[in-house]
Amino acid sequence: MTVKMKIFVCLGILFLFIPETFARKNKQDKDTFQWRYEIEPTVGQGKQGSCIIKVWTYAKKIDKAVAQAQKNAVHGIIFKGYAASTDGTRLPGQKPLVTDYETELENVAYFDEFFKDGGRYMRFVSLVNNGIPNSDDLIKVGKEYKVGIVVVVLKDALRKELENAGIVRALNAGF
Amino acid sequence: MVVPSDLWCNQNGYMQTMEVNGDVVTYPDYKKALMENADLLLVISKINELMAERGFPLKNLESSLKSMDFTESESAMLTSHVGSSVAESPIDRLKRTAKADIWMQLTWTLNQTGPKRSLTFNLQGLDAYTNVQIAGASGTSAPTFSAELPVLLEEAVLQHLDNFNSQLQSHFDRLFEYGREVSVMIRAWDTLEYGLETEYDGMELTEIIENWMADHAVGGRYNLVDMSENFMMFEQVMIPLFNEQDRALDARTWLRELQKHLRNQYEIDAKLMTRGLGFAQLIIGEK
Repeated sequence: MTVKMKIFVCLGILFLFIPETFARKNKQDKDTFQWRYEIEPTVGQGKQGSCIIKVWTYAKKIDKAVAQAQKNAVHGIIFKGYAASTDGTRLPGQKPLVTDYETELENVAYFDEFFKDGGRYMRFVSLVNNGIPNSDDLIKVGKEYKVGIVVVVLKDALRKELENAGIVRALNAGF
Repeated sequence: MVVPSDLWCNQNGYMQTMEVNGDVVTYPDYKKALMENADLLLVISKINELMAERGFPLKNLESSLKSMDFTESESAMLTSHVGSSVAESPIDRLKRTAKADIWMQLTWTLNQTGPKRSLTFNLQGLDAYTNVQIAGASGTSAPTFSAELPVLLEEAVLQHLDNFNSQLQSHFDRLFEYGREVSVMIRAWDTLEYGLETEYDGMELTEIIENWMADHAVGGRYNLVDMSENFMMFEQVMIPLFNEQDRALDARTWLRELQKHLRNQYEIDAKLMTRGLGFAQLIIGEK
């Protein structure tokens, strides 16, 4: 094997591993980290320190959307927040827990670990009605579905987690 | 500390009058409101509970009022030896006694449309030093047939408090970066022959004071809004949150250093007076 061929083989092997190592694993995760989801408040009674929201997730298969909805919900509460309702229910919006865009970039390793499949984010979110969407909340958009799943996020506990990780400053920090 | 707003107190008949420098002035009567309105107690208690859960326990209005009663006789009047006094409202006195950094001012109105009721809720966070609004959360709930007022109030607190806290956090971040804003007034007693233009070591008092301000304000930031030979009015004076001993500073404790500086360096006496937490005045020439 010539030197040139050896280099080509090495580069080929390297390219095979690059997508696995550095890129997000699946399309749904890509969507999450590219903010491709929508959140809106929804009527419901949650326990103190939690919020009930509907997450609109995009996926080619409905079950994938259901699985990703929880991740999107936690991601949204941390980085995106949501606007007040516009359907007459007068539910107020919510600001994101992390307001500085740089924070996400500075803590990439932490959030990669936090949001990995089955990661710690699961502790702060649960599905309502087992994640089964209403018929109104299932919309075909081109080749994929836009699915609205209702979830409960334990935002107070989530905030505590981020405070302990040093990502969000506690209200009493410095006093 | 959570307090009901002046508007709410006025609408519900919890006001008191007091004579200040010959004028009759109206103030909210918090003590009466707390004794007669169970809904107010509920909202204050709910906000206190939620804030404590978030690691930021609040001063309780009722306890602070009681504590103020005990110290009333000591701090009601501040007079100099020659009989000068500074008028302080009950609210200023409460601010000084409670030493709460943030006042959370609460207003709610129950709206009635036919048989349906809704609640308009407004929570304002005021910086006790400057009275500037630094956080706010407000909104009107969806009309309902059945929910009672306490339930509507509780829901409103739960829905709005996190947004309020988010703004509060931004304010704290700014405090740590730029310091706390206070106002300072410097005056001269008649005993100073040329008022603040009297010279010491070749410098007018005004110059000495400005130099001290520039050296001790965070980033040298202050705004001398007006001055004459008798007074200097400083606003937007940024003071550090803590002194070298890690003790929290307010306008009075910060300005006390200027008082000491004048006495030690130039043997000038000065009287230090205060109003609330964010305003202090130094009257130079005697005590």
